Amino acid sequence: MTDIIVNGMSFALPLFIIAVGGIFSERSGVTNLALEGFLGAGAFIGALFVVLTSGWFSPGSQVPMYLAMVFAMIGGALYAVIHAVLCIKFKANQVISGVVVNILAIALTDFLTSQVNAGIFGQSSDKFVMTVSGRLTFQPLANIPVIGGFFTNVYPFEFIIIIVAMISWYVMYRSRFGLRLRACGDNPYAVDAAGCNVGRLQFAAVMISGALSGLGGMCFAYSVFGNYSVSIYTGYGYLAIAAMIFGNWKIPFTLGACLLFGFARAAGYWLIQLMGLPGAYSDLIMTLPYVLTLLLLIFFSKNNRAPRALGEIYDKGKR
Amino acid sequence: MKRQTNGSRPVKLFLAVMGDEKRQNISIPLFAICLSLIAGALLMVLLGKNPVDGYRSLLQGCGMLMKEKYAGGKGMLTDFMSYLDIWTPMIFASLAVAVAYKAGLFNIGVSGQMLLGGFIASVTVGYSDLPGIVAKPLVILVCVVAGALAGSLIGLLKYKFNINEVVSAIMLNYIFQYVISFFILTFFVNPITRQSESVGENARLTLQNVEIGGMKTVVPLGFVLALGAVAVTHYFIHHTRTGFELKAVGANPKAAVYAGINVKKNIMLAMALSGALSGLAGATYYLGYLSSIQPKTLVSTGFDAIAVCLLGNSNPVGILAASFLITIITKGGMYMNSSIGVPQEVSSLITGLMLLFAACGVYIRARLARAADRQKQEEKSMASAEDGSAPGQQAAEQTRQEEVQR
Amino acid sequence: MDEYIVEMRHVTKRFPGIVANDDVSLGIKKGEIFALLGENGAGKSTLMSILFGMYEPDEGEVYIRGKKVEVFSPNHATAMNIGMVHQHFKLVSNYTITENIILGMETKRRIGGFLPAVDVASANKKVAELSKRFGLEVNPTQKIEDLNVSMQQRVEILKMLYREAEILIFDEPTAVLTPQEIEFLLDIIREMRRRGKTIILITHKLEEIKKVADRCAILCRGRLVGMCDVAETSTKQMAEMMVGREVSFAQEKLPASFGETLLKVEHLSVNNADGFPVVNDVSFSVRRGEIFAIAGVAGNGQVEVADAIAGLVAAAGGRIFIGEQEITDETVRQRNEHGLAYIPEDRQTWGLILNFTLSENLLLKRYYQEPYCVKGVLHREKFDEKSRELIEAFDIRSGQGEQTTVRSMSGGNQQKAIVARELDQNAPCIVFVQPTRGLDIGAIEHIHSQILAERDKGKAILLVSLELDEIMNLADTIGVIYNGQLLKTAPAEELTANEVGRFMMGVREE
Repeated sequence: MTDIIVNGMSFALPLFIIAVGGIFSERSGVTNLALEGFLGAGAFIGALFVVLTSGWFSPGSQVPMYLAMVFAMIGGALYAVIHAVLCIKFKANQVISGVVVNILAIALTDFLTSQVNAGIFGQSSDKFVMTVSGRLTFQPLANIPVIGGFFTNVYPFEFIIIIVAMISWYVMYRSRFGLRLRACGDNPYAVDAAGCNVGRLQFAAVMISGALSGLGGMCFAYSVFGNYSVSIYTGYGYLAIAAMIFGNWKIPFTLGACLLFGFARAAGYWLIQLMGLPGAYSDLIMTLPYVLTLLLLIFFSKNNRAPRALGEIYDKGKR
Repeated sequence: MKRQTNGSRPVKLFLAVMGDEKRQNISIPLFAICLSLIAGALLMVLLGKNPVDGYRSLLQGCGMLMKEKYAGGKGMLTDFMSYLDIWTPMIFASLAVAVAYKAGLFNIGVSGQMLLGGFIASVTVGYSDLPGIVAKPLVILVCVVAGALAGSLIGLLKYKFNINEVVSAIMLNYIFQYVISFFILTFFVNPITRQSESVGENARLTLQNVEIGGMKTVVPLGFVLALGAVAVTHYFIHHTRTGFELKAVGANPKAAVYAGINVKKNIMLAMALSGALSGLAGATYYLGYLSSIQPKTLVSTGFDAIAVCLLGNSNPVGILAASFLITIITKGGMYMNSSIGVPQEVSSLITGLMLLFAACGVYIRARLARAADRQKQEEKSMASAEDGSAPGQQAAEQTRQEEVQR
Repeated sequence: MDEYIVEMRHVTKRFPGIVANDDVSLGIKKGEIFALLGENGAGKSTLMSILFGMYEPDEGEVYIRGKKVEVFSPNHATAMNIGMVHQHFKLVSNYTITENIILGMETKRRIGGFLPAVDVASANKKVAELSKRFGLEVNPTQKIEDLNVSMQQRVEILKMLYREAEILIFDEPTAVLTPQEIEFLLDIIREMRRRGKTIILITHKLEEIKKVADRCAILCRGRLVGMCDVAETSTKQMAEMMVGREVSFAQEKLPASFGETLLKVEHLSVNNADGFPVVNDVSFSVRRGEIFAIAGVAGNGQVEVADAIAGLVAAAGGRIFIGEQEITDETVRQRNEHGLAYIPEDRQTWGLILNFTLSENLLLKRYYQEPYCVKGVLHREKFDEKSRELIEAFDIRSGQGEQTTVRSMSGGNQQKAIVARELDQNAPCIVFVQPTRGLDIGAIEHIHSQILAERDKGKAILLVSLELDEIMNLADTIGVIYNGQLLKTAPAEELTANEVGRFMMGVREE
């Protein structure tokens, strides 16, 4: 039971923060299939920082990890500029732009990873080796039955994600910026009529999307894998999109979706182990998020609504 | 005004080079290709390599230029045939994207449909000992049907439940990927390679180790089919009634309703055709170029195809050219790496940039249209200046307004 | 001079192909209700859009409170306390009324003394208070998507009041309202005047002007043709100025000879997307050789009647016949084949595929028939042959002949293309919806003469138009639609324009 919670949380939360990134972009009206590219590029910058500065910190120090997260967010935000420029300034098709940005991210990070490895460390490898993050257990709390799992073997980044998610929620639903941003996804012309700059709002939203995805990517690199390479992030961007749709483009529901995906996955693995089934059965578990999302869309399509102006190319001259 | 006069000569030149709207269909992708090739060359220079050597090795790797030396029993033909082998699925996949796109739909699920077709054909026909003359057509048939069903499912979800085709295709991609992986690992796995068991030579669409002129080579039968598919798709889109209806639905669904066209039927049809072409891509990939399936992996072909389609302006002939080029870069990258030591990632980077520049095409087109308009207006105001009215002010006003609108 | 709060001097605004405003000068006094009267396309909206900063005039000057306006933008206009309710509302559908109103000028509060947040609670209060003061009666926490059109309009009004607008522009505010809602709106407008606001009312409804306005400017084809004190001017005088005396569209019209009844509509009703009835129990019939015109103010259900006949929207009740054939439940294509041709209102959305060539668009209803299509294969050369024939016959002008992309053609030529295609069906029954919308005078006359020619060939013609003079000039029989119902049906010679106008306003027979 504890294992399910521990593994479920450590998978669900990074996924959640990536999905929140997706929400920012899509609620502003910009379709975002590029989450995968954002998280890959962001995590690359973070990991690059770690390997370049590996001599600066005492071994075992957790400082580089926190700095890496900051750099991953900056990297993700900067990489997201490509999608933002294509969609908002160049008015390219947003789906195409997303696909192109993903393809480019894989090519770019793969290339740069090998180049850095070859040029600086003189070895040919397509991954950056990092440490696995330390874990924290909160003693008295961890002993509580069932709930104790939430306080056992917790990655420090889980707290960071929770804090960042709370800030995101606040920005989205309580701040002036959030009010305007969500309005853009419904009727950009109303926002324009209210005297706000729609393009600038959307641009900011896409960059935030990149920053949050970068953070999520970095957490994946630190927790599950302990290294960075292209192969660690393929698939998670689209899984985050599924979570976002499942969560109806709302932050609290999306958290629910991610927890559902995460716990279902952890419970599935646990069950397979318990019953002594071969590892291949875990693949069936992996389909769960997608099957659930598709079923949700089929049976509750009335209640599941994408932002009204999502994917629309905003043209100020048109009325 | 000042900036305008300064910039007018290069602008005019650029306008003249890019040509009118119809010529831009070709000139803008060419522009994107040139830019990315230049970027690639710069990259090679930065890596301390000679770009001419680099690009030459790309062509050599694809059997279009002679290499310095060949291993025993191999030659230019060997390389060229294996180039055709990997080009074939790319053609099918890009056509799949194009057919859907003509009807205003995005088939981002090509990779999943390829996998589904390839898997079903492998387990039904690939592991049988039917004679080749039966097995090969059967493989194609199974893949077409499987792909078409997967495609129509997306179409059905779209018009019955109003689920965006991009979303359902992504979900289905992963569902196919994991379910098939489960079956492979459970029932069909080769314990050494950790991939599915190889299909028999009887079912394979690419003949292996054929001797032609003393050289051992592969013979991709699917390539002929792919060329046929380009021709048929071209004919279908441009010259048949159904193709016309499909395009009408894609270009303006409301006008299509008004013209008496059944929109729902055409959405289903477009997705089914697109899925069938994806199935063909799967057949030539998993039972042609390869003979087994790697579990838990979607090939990138289906996603690259979206970009190829973009570069080829979703025109079958354009797609043939665009996929030809992109495959040279991806396939030749391997040889570029082994012969002159340019990392293979450079070639994927060139491809990525090419797609990026191609995606900017809409913007370039809009800028060109605006520039052309402005030029026309200037000419008009020149002309009316001779009439004695006050056109300068008017033209300036108009330009300023365009600035404001931007 | 100083008595005017708004003054426009010699304002001219041109758009490609037309002069929307031609040397217009007018002044508006503080605290009055000033009406801007004119037909569709007379340039009213353009003129007020200039005042609201959306367009910059090509020539002329605008003064507000005696100061010359230098920068034109809606933000500047708002800063100068000008507000505008557009014909198409600009509201965020999943936001509450308050959220919509404060969008762009949110007040802040501090959570726990430091975190800035949008202060919705106090805004709610302020909106409720404003709403009460002007008698608007809205619930600030309701969402826009749950509101009907009239309530949405009130939100737009509140938006202006919240921004402390002193000069309020209403663009055709009553076009989408029911009579009761119109009365309510006019009361609000009077209340605003009482509180010292200046109101500009753009409309083409004389009755409303008579009811609330103090003064009235009349625009006709971009020019200011009159300025009057409403109290001292009769509706008839205003109507004459609005239609314009010097321009006449009167066509050579041969005496009618009616054949048998061809198009028959019985008890038709149509619902809109929300299931709200917009056409209610409409019955009429059109004979061969007859032009039956449906007159009415925009948004009274006339377009839906035509769309239901064409099969673009489903009928909620009633039956439609062409000759003996009932077409109520037929597909669009079956209707076409049973003898219906249709010129839709919105030519770019419904009537044409803009990215297709002229040739493809001209054959949009015949592409599947022989000889254009044999056994599923298109014969492009036949397309082009036929197109050249139509281009010649209908004088359609385009850059590259039948191979021109329709998007690049002018509006008039696009309309000619649709008319050419539909008349070429040689269908016995033709429905025209707003066939001359947005066209210049020459093109209008051309299309009018074609409609008459078809009538004289013995076709049954249904004409839906918002232009009263178009109806008066062409119709043999006039049906006036109001609020989804046919209020009056009579031979054209028995009705005067004024009478039709009155029925259009919903005045029932005395």
